[in-house]
Amino acid sequence: MPVFLLLVSGQAWAHAMLDHAEPRVGNKVASPPREVTLTFTQKLEPAFSSVTVTGPSGQRVDAGKARVSGNQMSVPLKGAGAGTYHVNWHVLSVDTHTTDGSFTFQVGP
Amino acid sequence: MSINRARAGVAGLVIALGSLLGPDSGAYAHEIVGNRFFPATLGIDDPGVNDELSLPTFDSFKTGDVPPVRQRDVSGEFSKRITEDFAISFGSTYTFLGPIDPTVPGANGFQNLETTFKYRVFKDPVHEFVMSVGLNVEWGGTGSQSVGADPFNTYTPTIYFGKGFGDLPDTVSWLRPVAITGQVGYAIPGRNFTTTFGIDPDTGASTADTEFHPRVLNWGGTIQYSMPYLKSSVIDLGLPDFINHLVPLVEATLQTPVANTLTSGTTTTGTINPGVIWVGNKFQIAAEALIPINRQSGTNVGFIAQLHLYLDDIDPRGIGKPIFGGPVQPASPFARN
Repeated sequence: MPVFLLLVSGQAWAHAMLDHAEPRVGNKVASPPREVTLTFTQKLEPAFSSVTVTGPSGQRVDAGKARVSGNQMSVPLKGAGAGTYHVNWHVLSVDTHTTDGSFTFQVGP
Repeated sequence: MSINRARAGVAGLVIALGSLLGPDSGAYAHEIVGNRFFPATLGIDDPGVNDELSLPTFDSFKTGDVPPVRQRDVSGEFSKRITEDFAISFGSTYTFLGPIDPTVPGANGFQNLETTFKYRVFKDPVHEFVMSVGLNVEWGGTGSQSVGADPFNTYTPTIYFGKGFGDLPDTVSWLRPVAITGQVGYAIPGRNFTTTFGIDPDTGASTADTEFHPRVLNWGGTIQYSMPYLKSSVIDLGLPDFINHLVPLVEATLQTPVANTLTSGTTTTGTINPGVIWVGNKFQIAAEALIPINRQSGTNVGFIAQLHLYLDDIDPRGIGKPIFGGPVQPASPFARN
């Protein structure tokens, strides 16, 4: 059955969903990270994928354009101290599906 | 497929209400709304539209007939988007009826073919809310009357909705993976009654039995807890990968005759279905128990299982894209908070 062949062949792509992130989603790190790295379930189109990060006071702390390589997207951060950081991402997978999402992580002792 | 799947019964054994109503063996759409992925659920349709194939869906249960009948169904459904927001699905079910009483013959055959036209009318990614409207048509006479298929059409206009709780405050963030979905449909038979003429074997007199076909409110819902959502949007607990793909849920599929109920009665029947869905990138596998809510709904706990393929992910540039309309809009610089 053609559908099953496609299913097991690995030649087709799917929606890019967030598989994991560093810092990990919802977790706490001791000091402000230098960057946030998101790993997705599918490869991304760099030109149409982006991520923003806001710091504890609500200001943007992402510094520069996101780097996309395969299924990973990273963005450097400006230090903003302890508190809750919000990460918003929006990506286009190579099969033209768009997805977006958001999460937080904590910085503090 | 609608949730007013005719519960098939062996001729002569079926009580009026039990012959009309029963759990659905359908196959339903998946949907993505913002952070939220609504998986395809087995008992009721989810609120979105998509390109997908459910094959097979298998269920087994004992009917509420007196005496009960062991019913097994194998079904499939193919759903195709015509535009980004409008889809048509086609479903078919083959039924095996095995009477518990060995002196009564069983029966096998197809249920009526079903077609569902569904349009997504509203989608709010920020609040993970989506709503659709649809019309299900059961094509009378396309199935076998020996397994309970009606010889007349049934039309069921239906409203579907879904809401994820990702917008809850931080203090109850552990509830954000929760989502609810629901549907309400009104099944309108194309024929109000059927009269059967016969001869009384004792007296030889001619007889006429009339069965009224009720209008039925088909309603139900799900409550689900998404482990993928927990990991990607709330907290990554470092759980095993298999656990992170699970969506435990409870479905309720209920049917209430509300009009033309002279021979059917007005008792609500249905099942409560606890189960779990494993969600992958291109397919999902689901299994649920079928717990009848009363004696008329069944006489034991049955089960239902399904393999569901996401055609939009398996073949996004072919069968998995809308027939009309361009590809998915490219991402633009987003401004969500």
